[in-house]
Amino acid sequence: MAALCRVRHRWKRTNCIKLLTRNLTGTFDYDLVVIGGGSGGLACSKEAAQLGQKVAVLDYVEPSVKGTKWGIGGTCVNVGCIPKKLMHQAALLGTALKDAQKYGWQIPGPISHNWSTMAEAVQNHVRSLNWGHRVQLQDKEVKYLNIKGSLVDEHTVKGLTRTGKEIMLTAKNIVIATGGRPKYPTHIPGAVEHGITSDDIFWLKESPGKTLVVGASYVALECAGFLTGIGLDTTVMVRSIPLRGFDQQMAGLVTDYMEAYGTKFSWRSVPKSVDKLASGALQVTWTDKQTGKDQRDTFDSVLWAVGRAPETKTLSLEKVGVKLNEESGKILVAADESTSVPNIYAFGDIGEGRPELTPTAIKAGKLLARRLAGQTNELMNYDNVATTVFTPLEYGCVGLSEEEAESRHGKDSIEVYHAFYKPLEFTVAERDASQCYIKVVCKRGGDQRILGLHFTGPNAGEVTQGFAMGFQCGATLTHLMETVGIHPTCAEELTKVNVSKRSGLDATVTGC
Amino acid sequence: MQWVKICRQSLSSTVNTTLTVALSRHKFIRRSMASDAITRFDFLVIGGGSGGLAGARRAAELGATAAVVESHKLGGTCVNVGCVPKKVMWNAAVHAEYLHDHSDYGFDGGHVHFSWETIKTKRDAYVSRLNHIYRNNLDKAKIETIQGHARFIDGPDPTVEVNGKKYTAPHILIATGGFPSVLSDNDVPGASLGITSDGFFELESLPKRSVIVGAGYIAVEMAGILSTLGSKTSIICRQTGVRTNPGRHIPFMYPTNTVFRGVACTRGGHKKACLILFTFPLQVLRNFDTLISSNCTKELQNSGIELWKNTQVKLVSKTSNGLLEVTLVTKDPEKKNEEEKIGTIQEVDCLLWAIGREPNTAGLNLSQMGVDIDERGFIVVDEFQNTTRQGVYAVGDVCGKALLTPVAIAAGRKLAHRLFDGKEDAKVDFSNIPTVVFSHPPIGTVGLTEEEAIKNRGKENVKSYKTSFTPMYHAITTRKTQCIMKLVCVGKEEKVVGLHMQGIGCDEMLQGFAVAIKMGATKADFDKTIAIHPTSSEEFVTMR
Repeated sequence: MAALCRVRHRWKRTNCIKLLTRNLTGTFDYDLVVIGGGSGGLACSKEAAQLGQKVAVLDYVEPSVKGTKWGIGGTCVNVGCIPKKLMHQAALLGTALKDAQKYGWQIPGPISHNWSTMAEAVQNHVRSLNWGHRVQLQDKEVKYLNIKGSLVDEHTVKGLTRTGKEIMLTAKNIVIATGGRPKYPTHIPGAVEHGITSDDIFWLKESPGKTLVVGASYVALECAGFLTGIGLDTTVMVRSIPLRGFDQQMAGLVTDYMEAYGTKFSWRSVPKSVDKLASGALQVTWTDKQTGKDQRDTFDSVLWAVGRAPETKTLSLEKVGVKLNEESGKILVAADESTSVPNIYAFGDIGEGRPELTPTAIKAGKLLARRLAGQTNELMNYDNVATTVFTPLEYGCVGLSEEEAESRHGKDSIEVYHAFYKPLEFTVAERDASQCYIKVVCKRGGDQRILGLHFTGPNAGEVTQGFAMGFQCGATLTHLMETVGIHPTCAEELTKVNVSKRSGLDATVTGC
Repeated sequence: MQWVKICRQSLSSTVNTTLTVALSRHKFIRRSMASDAITRFDFLVIGGGSGGLAGARRAAELGATAAVVESHKLGGTCVNVGCVPKKVMWNAAVHAEYLHDHSDYGFDGGHVHFSWETIKTKRDAYVSRLNHIYRNNLDKAKIETIQGHARFIDGPDPTVEVNGKKYTAPHILIATGGFPSVLSDNDVPGASLGITSDGFFELESLPKRSVIVGAGYIAVEMAGILSTLGSKTSIICRQTGVRTNPGRHIPFMYPTNTVFRGVACTRGGHKKACLILFTFPLQVLRNFDTLISSNCTKELQNSGIELWKNTQVKLVSKTSNGLLEVTLVTKDPEKKNEEEKIGTIQEVDCLLWAIGREPNTAGLNLSQMGVDIDERGFIVVDEFQNTTRQGVYAVGDVCGKALLTPVAIAAGRKLAHRLFDGKEDAKVDFSNIPTVVFSHPPIGTVGLTEEEAIKNRGKENVKSYKTSFTPMYHAITTRKTQCIMKLVCVGKEEKVVGLHMQGIGCDEMLQGFAVAIKMGATKADFDKTIAIHPTSSEEFVTMR
């Protein structure tokens, strides 16, 4: 005990000395300390190290309410994009099994899906990525510290290890990239005790079984989509509208398709309570806002996908004066990612008004590192960000939604070209393609510059990237028209759109 | 008589919009004389394939009276024996690959069996449905469909005879397409025991043992489908060879985007003897960027396809069990002293020649018409699709340039706009045509290969960016394929002049990038674009 006290004492002393020397000499342990080892934080720290900076990155995962924890790499790698896309892929293979029979494959007997096989494979892949990130940090000579960081002053970060040990780090610049975590509706009785979130779903050892997904964000729809796809009874409970912020016609197509492929929707419903029955099943009570009546059903799992909250609680932001947006709790940031305190920067999901997307965080992180190293003045451009929702029918888009284009430019100043097309892979498989749709929102008149481009269909992610690039270059409708199509693909339909909504003509594509 | 005069006038002037539009108001004007009835249209199209149908429909939309002559089924190569049924079969094969991966993704299932008969029936039904749709589209557009073989006959105005009836128009479009080359039994004894891609679509069952001769994209696609569906498959490809003009025989694959790069003949129908140097591939798809051809060769071999290089078919014979025995000669031209090696492949039930395509001009009587063809038999056209005879045009495969459906469609439509919409400079831009090869995994390519860029701009002005990775789909599968990507940039501004890739999803990835490249995108534009995560295509905008 005495020894322990001594060690503690020594720590305190060294830390004090450290702060003192820093204040006297103006030298720091590091050029840059990054708090948060997610997509953005890692990209920023690696870039800085490559530019010759001395860098440390702090990553610490607070286990979820259910006790799920994971390694370095942040949301994307552990509980986001990567496991989500792999499980989406599994679901697509489920659909492919049905299609395959139409394509001449005779598959005897019923096919079942084994959650553990899939989850284990996905988890192993995630672990290999965790490992890959650590190797990369080592290669690039970034100091990795598995500690929880908080701010002491504009140059000092205090780290807390799992065992409660404190470490002081001083740095010329501090970057906060701690991202966010899923929210729980704490006002609903039983929600926290009996519910899970996207932090848990990918790490479940056993199948979640019959699942209620509450929320209609892309996280909710993606999760519900893959759960349905691997054969689970899945219901989505929606309070108001699906995919808020996205083009609502497209959002409707996405949910229509999901309904057609077996996902149940409980529209305009608000959950009231979750109770665990003696059988272990979860009884959920909700209010149907249309009828005003309460309804009840039992589920094996309840997944809350009701939004994400920034991870700011343990950072001691108030102590050093870093200003937050009071409503969202996110850090107020300028165009150069600077906060209200000099030398402290923040970006990624935690930055107020920033898109919650991995690629923007990576890019912003790299640019920030370059600016801090004095390599460039280039700022991150958050416009024209393309994105894809990996629902059973994928939806890719770039630019404005039709609603947004209308409100910005006026209904009379935009022309919307659209097409309902049938992917060739759907024909032989005898699948309904009524939700495969393309919408190109253009400025009316002149060279009809494209304001927004929307695509639902197979491989939307792969289709959208190239068009996002054309969009970035300022593409017009003529540019689309003048590009020779690639036959037979779904993407070629984008070069063939010619029916405007205004014309009222039938937008169904016929023949080649 | 008045309108005959108008007709003449509009013939003499290449484009006369007002008159033509005025003319078009007279629907199906027929001028009958007792013995010599000639049916007249504004626009007569020979060939109901992609190019011809697109041209006729657009012309009709613009007010012209139009007719289409078709001797076979509507839809042409693409719909009946090309893109469409090919991609259906490719999809069936992709399902075979998925089935391998199902257990890795957690699906437990029994032993699967493939029924060729099922897919053949469904495919045929789908194609018939399309034939029907095309016919309806023509009817709806009030375009007359004339069934039969067209032949130009003598006369002051270009006139066409079909089944003894005569048809004419001030504007006649030849869009008869092409057909797969075959070798005669004189060239290779027993060659006629083999089939071509046309015959592939008639196969009633999955061949057990397939031999594909050729190394172009059709050979690669056919071999990929057959092998993936479970047929033991070999590809036979020759190497370097010099031969004189083979006349109508072009026993080689045409590259898909820029055709006949290796041909040293002058155009314009001069029948001068010329020497053609064809460099046969050591690898498949030699006209593609070397990264693609070497990777595709590797993928073919990895998937279990046997590749016979420097090899030609010498003899094909039918054995008593009804199967074929294919005798092959292998000789590496680099090793001059080495003896030829003779090999055989036995019990072959599908020998498929994929050695090139030829124009469908026989029987048209083009020589009498003053419509020039080149040494290879393709119709000579200028950039506006004009042939050497005024009032006669040609689009699509019959012209031998960029044998692709969307190119023919674009050419047909542009021509219609030029003739009937007063758009005098409407023409197809043949640069940066994106192409996909439905191999396993698929290939996408647009613009120049690195070799071409270096040749055009000099090595010091060309910079290429490459990447290769295992797509995330394979993160949890035991079966793996690679995704390779290359950007070819030129000049200080690093303008992207070529984009080449092979990997899962590349078929759907290419189109958007093709738009950007056509717009003149630079490497900096790629860098400026935010990635879509997690996709394979994002690698193009994060390349360093």
